Amino acid sequence: MIVSELLLPVFVVLATLAVGAYLVGVIDGAIGAALGAPRGQSAWLAPLTQGAWLLTQQANTTEAPDWRAWRLAPALYLALAATGLAVVPWSPTLIPTDLTTSVVLWGSVEALATVVIFLHGWSANTLLALIGAYRYVALGLSYILISMFVLIGVALPAESLQFSQVVASQAEMWNVIRQPLGLPLFLIVGLGMTFWGPFNLADSRDLAGGTASAVSGPPRLVWNLARAAMLVAFSCVAASAFLGGWLGPWLPGPLWMVIKMLVVLAVLLLIGRLVPRVQPERCVTLMWVVLLPLSFIDLIWAGMEALL
Amino acid sequence: MAVSWLSRLAARARVPVFPALGMHGDTILHRLALTPGIELVDSPRHASILLVAGGVPPDLHEALRRLHDQLPAPFATLWYRSSPLSELAGDLRVDDPEALPEALKRLHRELMSGRRDSSPRLLPDEPPNPWEGLGDDGHGGEGMMGGVPYGRPMAMNMHDDIRDGLTLDSLTVTLGPFLPVLPPGLGAKVTLQGDLVQSWVTQLAPYPIALENVFHEALQRPVPIAELELARARHHLQRLAFSLRLSGLEHLALVALRLSRGLNVESRVGRLHRRLTRCGFFRLTTAGRGRLEAGQARRVGGIAARAAGLEEDLRSRDAAYRRLGFTPVVQRGGDTNARWRQTLAEIDHSLQLAFRAEQEDLYSEMTEAVETPRGPWDDYRPEDASDILEDLLPGLEWDEALTTIASLDLAGVSEWPLEPLSETSLKDDEERQA
Repeated sequence: MIVSELLLPVFVVLATLAVGAYLVGVIDGAIGAALGAPRGQSAWLAPLTQGAWLLTQQANTTEAPDWRAWRLAPALYLALAATGLAVVPWSPTLIPTDLTTSVVLWGSVEALATVVIFLHGWSANTLLALIGAYRYVALGLSYILISMFVLIGVALPAESLQFSQVVASQAEMWNVIRQPLGLPLFLIVGLGMTFWGPFNLADSRDLAGGTASAVSGPPRLVWNLARAAMLVAFSCVAASAFLGGWLGPWLPGPLWMVIKMLVVLAVLLLIGRLVPRVQPERCVTLMWVVLLPLSFIDLIWAGMEALL
Repeated sequence: MAVSWLSRLAARARVPVFPALGMHGDTILHRLALTPGIELVDSPRHASILLVAGGVPPDLHEALRRLHDQLPAPFATLWYRSSPLSELAGDLRVDDPEALPEALKRLHRELMSGRRDSSPRLLPDEPPNPWEGLGDDGHGGEGMMGGVPYGRPMAMNMHDDIRDGLTLDSLTVTLGPFLPVLPPGLGAKVTLQGDLVQSWVTQLAPYPIALENVFHEALQRPVPIAELELARARHHLQRLAFSLRLSGLEHLALVALRLSRGLNVESRVGRLHRRLTRCGFFRLTTAGRGRLEAGQARRVGGIAARAAGLEEDLRSRDAAYRRLGFTPVVQRGGDTNARWRQTLAEIDHSLQLAFRAEQEDLYSEMTEAVETPRGPWDDYRPEDASDILEDLLPGLEWDEALTTIASLDLAGVSEWPLEPLSETSLKDDEERQA
């Protein structure tokens, strides 16, 4: 009882968090090297050396930060990623927490991410971090509705708000085929939620690192770790919602899940390297004027399909 | 034991270097960007080494001290072709570009292993202005309003919004002269509402830029047109690389830098142009902002003028260029987007001119004036035009303002030419380390 309901779920979440975040570093480094970044050390070692350096670096201060919020924000973002990972079904039986409302819980993770990222930028009490925080709120408000419609779309055929049921409902046909608009829209939500690549408005280069521009040492390591973990959590959710989760022939369910998660992750990281950062105003316009109506269509499509 | 294991691992990390640029210091960055094992970071908080590249004018020493003290321990400072501040007289100085990457890596290793102490703090750790300690909340004002705690005005809702009526508190800050996203040396006092620029006052002009020696020679005697055009294309490619990095296109910035390093008359820029179009650089990052009026465009000159439709190019007055059938390329629009299209078109044009000029062994014939990459140099060198930012930037968002600045070559031209770096050894460096 204790093993299956407490220790195993905690172990699965922590292991996915640690290994997943490390793999984000490795895959992103490998993509960077393939695209022409100067080849230094191996991609396998780079995340570890970078992490070790951040552990040896002093955690700096700024002038009158909101200390509690500043130190808490990276930990909260990491906790949100862990919460997301806790509802991911790896097989019909291996599910850390099989909530009947796990889709709703994931929605709340997306919403709370906006609060935590704003807190991280605002509490540093420096200009560039604050601008990053402002920008993220504009982005966060824009992607959240799209995400909700897309997720309701996958819940309809399953007639459930439980990720394990959503996966089971894809036994005949994966949602990526059944609802063709869903996955592309959800990937855009993922890039927004993790402020990665084209939607990195919060921690971008033009803000010298944005909300993380004034952070150094271990807090920065936690922040980087949390961002990577959130990418992994999102990839797991996308794989469950659209790519049939553990479903697949020959291989065991969890392995299928890992493969699908890595595919989504690699696609996100590749987009992150290949597409320039979208101007904030353009980004918000794109979300409200183009993508939100598309998510309506996706939902209507899903509803019609469920009725037929 | 555990600590030494951690330090050994940390010593193997890519060396995070924050560059503080002095005069003509930016050229070394093009090399470091392509050096394995070195990472150029954007915030001093993310660095282990402060690299002061090029001479820093004495009036900026105080700003340099403040920057120095922002690096978290353990850190070290390395001076490249620059004299250390008097308090840091014992610091490592390197003048040889060949030796710089290894010196940076050695410093980092020494810091991590504890063989070198962290650089000392230069300024007292206290606010530059005293805490006012007045008012209900100790902020110097009344109620929750007003006051100048620590000498800075509170973020106050004092200005009408200049865009959409959503009035946020205005925040006035000083930017530069070492902010890497601005041209080296540029300093400004900026008032922002959210991320919207409300006012921009240029306080420090950017350092004059050094051009390759061939542009200086062209005013003394005829020079090979191929050489002149290759130098022009190199200058523009390096500016483009800066902007691509700013837009998050690191890999294409490296493509542009590699192209600029190995540039010859057979090089072509078409593939880079197509990749930029395909990835959405023109549509997603640069559209429709930073439009120059004709008067402003003429004042800035060069690419900015031609991107605004002005057919002003001294090359059309040179008989040798006319024999090559030279006519200036121009764009309509005059905005950031048009300037980058113009830049790519001019790089392409320069490479074609260089190819034909080399085949015909053509030399420039006009020595009283030369069209530099920065604009026309006749009786006077192109001068600093950074004050146009004061009219251009208000009303733009932060991102739009920075992409606009990156698309404009505003600094004046230095009276001294660029010191050439050995290009062959640069190539060797990357290949050897790969």
